[in-house]
Amino acid sequence: MTTTIGLVVNPAAGRDIRRLTGGASVSNNYAKRRTAGCVLAGLTLADDVDVLVMPDSTGLADRIVDDAPDELGVEFVDMTVTASGRDSRTAAAHFADHADAVVVLGGDGTTRDVAQTIGDVPVVSISTGTNNVVPTPVDGTVAGAAAALVGSGAVPAAEATTRHGTIEVNVVRAEQTTVIRGLATVGVLDRPFVGTRAILDPSDIVGGVVSRSSPAEIGLSGIAGGLVTHRPDDPGGVGFRLARDGESGATAPTTVRAITVPGRLSTVDVAEHRVLDDGEDYAFEVDRGVVSVDGEREHEVRNGTVRLRPVSDGPRLVDVESVLERAASDGRFRLG
Amino acid sequence: MVVLDIETEDGQREALRRMLTIRAFDTKAADLFSDGELPGFVHLYVGEEAVGVGACSALESDDYITSTHRGHGHCIAKGLDPDLMMAELFGKANGYCNGKGGSMHIADVDAGMLGANGIVGAGPPLATGAALTSHLKGEDTVALAFFGDGAVAQGQVHEAINLAATWNLPAVFLVENNQYGEATPVEKQHNVQNLSETAEAYNIPGFTVDGMDITAVYEAVKEARKRAADGEGPTFIEAETYRYHGHFEGDQQPYRTEEDVAIWKDRDAIESFKRRLVDAGTITEDEFDEMKAEIDQQIEDAVGKAKDAAYPDPSEAYEDMFNAAVPEISDFSSGMRADGGEDR
Amino acid sequence: MSTETSSGTGPDQTKEMTIREAIRLALREELERDDDVFVMGEDVGKFGGVYEVTGDLVEQFGEERVRDTPISEAGFMGAAVGAAATGTRPVVEIMFSDFIGVCSEQIINQMAKNRYMFGGKTEMPVTVRTTEGGGSGAASQHSGTIHTWFAHFPGVMAVAPATPASAKGLLKSAIRSDDPVIVFENKQIYEQKGEVPLDDDFTIPIGTASVEREGEDVTVVATQRMVGESLELAEELAGQTSVEVIDLRSLYPMDTETLVESVKKTGRLVIADESPLSYGTHAEVATRVMENAFYSLDAPIQRVGVADVHIPFSPALEEEVLPHGSDVEAAINRIV
Repeated sequence: MTTTIGLVVNPAAGRDIRRLTGGASVSNNYAKRRTAGCVLAGLTLADDVDVLVMPDSTGLADRIVDDAPDELGVEFVDMTVTASGRDSRTAAAHFADHADAVVVLGGDGTTRDVAQTIGDVPVVSISTGTNNVVPTPVDGTVAGAAAALVGSGAVPAAEATTRHGTIEVNVVRAEQTTVIRGLATVGVLDRPFVGTRAILDPSDIVGGVVSRSSPAEIGLSGIAGGLVTHRPDDPGGVGFRLARDGESGATAPTTVRAITVPGRLSTVDVAEHRVLDDGEDYAFEVDRGVVSVDGEREHEVRNGTVRLRPVSDGPRLVDVESVLERAASDGRFRLG
Repeated sequence: MVVLDIETEDGQREALRRMLTIRAFDTKAADLFSDGELPGFVHLYVGEEAVGVGACSALESDDYITSTHRGHGHCIAKGLDPDLMMAELFGKANGYCNGKGGSMHIADVDAGMLGANGIVGAGPPLATGAALTSHLKGEDTVALAFFGDGAVAQGQVHEAINLAATWNLPAVFLVENNQYGEATPVEKQHNVQNLSETAEAYNIPGFTVDGMDITAVYEAVKEARKRAADGEGPTFIEAETYRYHGHFEGDQQPYRTEEDVAIWKDRDAIESFKRRLVDAGTITEDEFDEMKAEIDQQIEDAVGKAKDAAYPDPSEAYEDMFNAAVPEISDFSSGMRADGGEDR
Repeated sequence: MSTETSSGTGPDQTKEMTIREAIRLALREELERDDDVFVMGEDVGKFGGVYEVTGDLVEQFGEERVRDTPISEAGFMGAAVGAAATGTRPVVEIMFSDFIGVCSEQIINQMAKNRYMFGGKTEMPVTVRTTEGGGSGAASQHSGTIHTWFAHFPGVMAVAPATPASAKGLLKSAIRSDDPVIVFENKQIYEQKGEVPLDDDFTIPIGTASVEREGEDVTVVATQRMVGESLELAEELAGQTSVEVIDLRSLYPMDTETLVESVKKTGRLVIADESPLSYGTHAEVATRVMENAFYSLDAPIQRVGVADVHIPFSPALEEEVLPHGSDVEAAINRIV
């Protein structure tokens, strides 16, 4: 039986202003192309694999397809390219019906876009930068091998994936409510604009809700992680608000050290934090600010209420290491 | 001149005004050209307004910019007077260049505008030079080069960036990737997908921003300017944008479809910024309409004044070559040769 | 008659020095006189210039003002234009004039045109120093005499010193000029010695020729190396033919009056310049004389230059193509 693997390579990932303002490393398209080549090589671990590749306008996907190993049947997803995050969502929606597993090369933003529409299809998420919470930096060949094993059913998806939490956002203003969905983190920032999207200055952070937290993570989940560890598949999440300069809270703030952006070890005063149950609201009144989603400023708010709520219905993320170890213990790497 | 600080509400309205002024100016220029009223070529900035205005709003008034053949937007963003620009387009004596430069060479060095430029890729070396002046004189000015995606393929652009990077000069290199170098799409001109990747070769930061979002361009240039002014060297910014008109007026545009254009018009920089300002209560729909009508009238008036203005005297053709007087030119212009030589 | 002017009040002291030393003295004086002046080019700093012209200037003025560049003529020529437009006075060294091709864009479309195109609203105080001339076995890409190109091109002034005094005086005028001036230095005569005024305000106005030796029978208008060789020839011919030798000095603008006055007196003209003969510097001198002194001419004008070939490498060939005093003598003999 043929195994179908979806491949999303975001050509825009790893190119934002954090190359200037933070210590983020550069992920150029040559590196992405080589990593994608490794993924395809890893996929040959399974027999009879078809690959559906998200097209893009930059020529990156064309080259990936041109360089693919002969034993794979590689095709583009038939879709209109918009050169925006919409492409990842469109491709993922197609994969939800047609793929057995999906490999994503990008950052938190790309993974979130895929998560919106991927349904239950297992996702292997490879980080192409350093500043990511959800995707991990893993060799493409290894990731491809894991995708092949899960996609072909050699390793049961139920045993090698975890379901990531998400955060639902309602921005409520006088006449309208805007609904957004975040994957790992949603923040409220004291910035007037969406601007370059990246979170440039940790002192802009008003607070947020995270679906996972750990001091080993960078950004909002790192701040919450200084207080409480919350696994990606734990139900609920963590909400917190910071003590802002000149504002006095009811109780004395807790001072936390956290890695807020690459290259920056910050000290922040947390006025309040709370472990949230699945579906529990955590709200911010915002005169002027921006909602950030998975590390990117996304939505400008004037005079509104931002209501955040962890929801445990995220994507199934493949734990690459345990897939391969499980396959090895089943003898799948022994020949003869 | 109104200071353009888009962190303030006044500044946001002014930024919107400048974007609208660019659009009105260039839309009018297109009409005038198609009616045969403008001599020469015009290359229009319609669609790219957020890049010019966003960048200039992050600069100080004594910073320098270099521009391109598509320079009207940069001029207006930097605060130049549309009346004098329009006069220059008509080749009139009161134009910025006294009618000698035209659309492709509008300059106002005192205002920090080092010239639109008819040569693709010629601006960045000039910006490196302006940054060198700042460095040598210990000034705190910064030089920003606007250049197009096509120019990134030019050797002298590489040299300019390498020099500025190696010498750690206060420069900002801002690529306006409008997706086409003349009629050829960007992916057929470059082997990298993001032009900002080229920054790696110079060991300077490079990144890509949404050139249809004025706040993104503003913030990017603000950070790059700060880095430059702090003595940390140049930054390479790619702003992804789109020109709604052809490469030049009269371009039949066989290289793209109306649908291609529609995808970008859907994200129109002026419309989206206006919507955000209306949402925020910074401006009302009525105030916007009023602003737009006022600007349209201002451009109409500029055209009227330009049409009424005098052409330069023909003798002006022999002026301005040099600061010093040169007999070769002054003798010719005074008709000395008409007598066939003094010892006849 | 000499047109040197001495605008300062200092003593009319002179000192014997080489052309190389005179150029360095001019640079030193102008660097001392005006903080806006700076020198840049390939290896002009620590190395002292490939022809040791800049020498020890870097020790006195530092690496900022005596600035080594990468091998990047288009880049630093353009930077010079941008720097000049914004308030400095760059003196650029292009190591060999043959290399000017790689930065011609910045010279012809920017440096030469900006002032005019901008309606006079910018100044362009750039000085470009470059070397010309065959005779050192450097072959075609390092031996050319190209000054006609730029003497022809509107918007650029072009001067070519032949003596240590003119080397100093012309270069100082170039640096003090608010217009772009290219100084063409014949590298074969860097060691030529002569008396040089020590007055630090000694300049030679651009656009003036100099009658170096008066004579009655024939006028030799020469440039660069050909001036010295013509003077030697004139000395040899003294008693037989009275030769007037004019150092043209300024190729553009040109001192038509001095040339015309001389030819009106002698009735005969030989033009000696190392550039190729067709469409050249010789033609321009000849035309101006004919336009203004046609009826004073007693014989056809003679040109001494390089046939329309490049400078070859082999000493036997190079010697063949380069003009010398003997060629000037032959030309005189044809018409006197």
